[in-house]
Amino acid sequence: MQKLFFTLTALFLCTGIKAQIWVSKSVNSSFFSSTPVEDIDAQSKTGASALNTKTNDIIFKINNTSFQFKKKLMQEHFNENYMESDKFPTSDFKGKIVEQIDFSKPGTYPVTVKGNLQIHGVTKEYTTKGSLVITGDEAKATSTFNVKLADHDIKIPTIVFKQIAETIQVKMTAIYQPKK
Amino acid sequence: MKFHLKSLLYLSVTLLPSLAFAQDSLEKALQMPTEKKNVQATFKATKLINIQTNETIYKNELDFRVDHRFGDIAGSAGGTKNFFGLDQSTDIRIGFEYGISDRLSVGLSRAKGAGVVTQLYEGNLKYRLLEQTADDKVPVAVTLFGSTTLSAAKASTDPTAANAFGEFQDRLTYVVQAVIARKFNSNFSMLIMPSYVHRNFTVFGDQNDMLALSVGGRIKITKRMAFVADYTIPFRDKNKEAYLESTLGTQYYKTLGAGLEFETGGHIFHLNFTNATAIQESQFITDTNTSWLKGQYRWGFSIARRFSFDKKKAK
Repeated sequence: MQKLFFTLTALFLCTGIKAQIWVSKSVNSSFFSSTPVEDIDAQSKTGASALNTKTNDIIFKINNTSFQFKKKLMQEHFNENYMESDKFPTSDFKGKIVEQIDFSKPGTYPVTVKGNLQIHGVTKEYTTKGSLVITGDEAKATSTFNVKLADHDIKIPTIVFKQIAETIQVKMTAIYQPKK
Repeated sequence: MKFHLKSLLYLSVTLLPSLAFAQDSLEKALQMPTEKKNVQATFKATKLINIQTNETIYKNELDFRVDHRFGDIAGSAGGTKNFFGLDQSTDIRIGFEYGISDRLSVGLSRAKGAGVVTQLYEGNLKYRLLEQTADDKVPVAVTLFGSTTLSAAKASTDPTAANAFGEFQDRLTYVVQAVIARKFNSNFSMLIMPSYVHRNFTVFGDQNDMLALSVGGRIKITKRMAFVADYTIPFRDKNKEAYLESTLGTQYYKTLGAGLEFETGGHIFHLNFTNATAIQESQFITDTNTSWLKGQYRWGFSIARRFSFDKKKAK
């Protein structure tokens, strides 16, 4: 009786949680800064994300050093001077999908995501629109939003003020699969 | 009762985390890639004050660098009569470096040269042999530096002088160095560097081959300003040193440089004090005749600007 009880609860907990978690191992994120003097863009392909189809919780995590720049010196400055990747190695987002989405039904859904974005050790609440395309065993999420550097305490020295925009456009693409 | 307690405990252990779970269990489901990372930016520039650092520039980058050393601030040659050294320049160097790869760079430079061996043309190679890794499996970075310097000065007719060049080879000096550096944390880096200098021709009675050991470091004061210092000890033959002092009155000193480094994204500025009159390692290691204790130290500055010619697409 005792053993059965334990086994059942354990089984229930395991299966219950596993089926409702979808993961993405290669989140593609890029950002773009544009000023009349210089355009800067960088891309990371190794971010991670997971979402819970029941609770609508969604999280993202990206290693700051995984962003690749065209100019390597810029990449070094990005990590050394702006993101301080030694102190703050990752950027992450923890939030919820506002709409109720039925992940078993293929289709394209506009979604709203609300939550906290941590960059450079500073967390700020964001609400952003995106889209979710569900095709059978896969779900593709895309979103574009703007990040103000000042919001995350990333300071641009006056001498390079003209090269770096105050607001950076961020694009995210993630392809999810149910976690087995 | 015993059973109830146990199951309650069990339930709380299994259920509590899953109730408080939402974000936590999701976080566990995240599959972060394990990155093999090399430590970056141990130093900001390819040189400290007098000595090289382990840093090289990236592929297809051009580093343009100007170094300047003024005259003695104090001592018998300094003071108001030369406006604390600003009326003179003991050495000026203009150099270019180009990144063949992220590990190998080649350089060409022209320096005034201190002392009588002047009009210097230098060619150098710098190769990043080993990089420090973030997981500390490789605790230090090692970079090799080699240079050949040619003096184009007019040969002296005094056969004992350092510039009494007879043949072309007499005008050449070679330097080989191994920079061993470690970034201890984002604010503090240090290096130790053995050097070998070979001069094909020297002042009469001096040694052609010389070994030296340097130490240097960098401490960040603010995000863009750092304190940098370096110290070089040349190992001289005591008999030859005594001979030179007794015949020519020349004394040789270790070199100490200290200063501030400013980084502005692409530009690096150094504002420093050093007792060395010469800029290049082909000269300051073997021929520093000026001492801090005699007021024979000087202002120096350097400006380095990196240009990138790499237009490759971000991967």
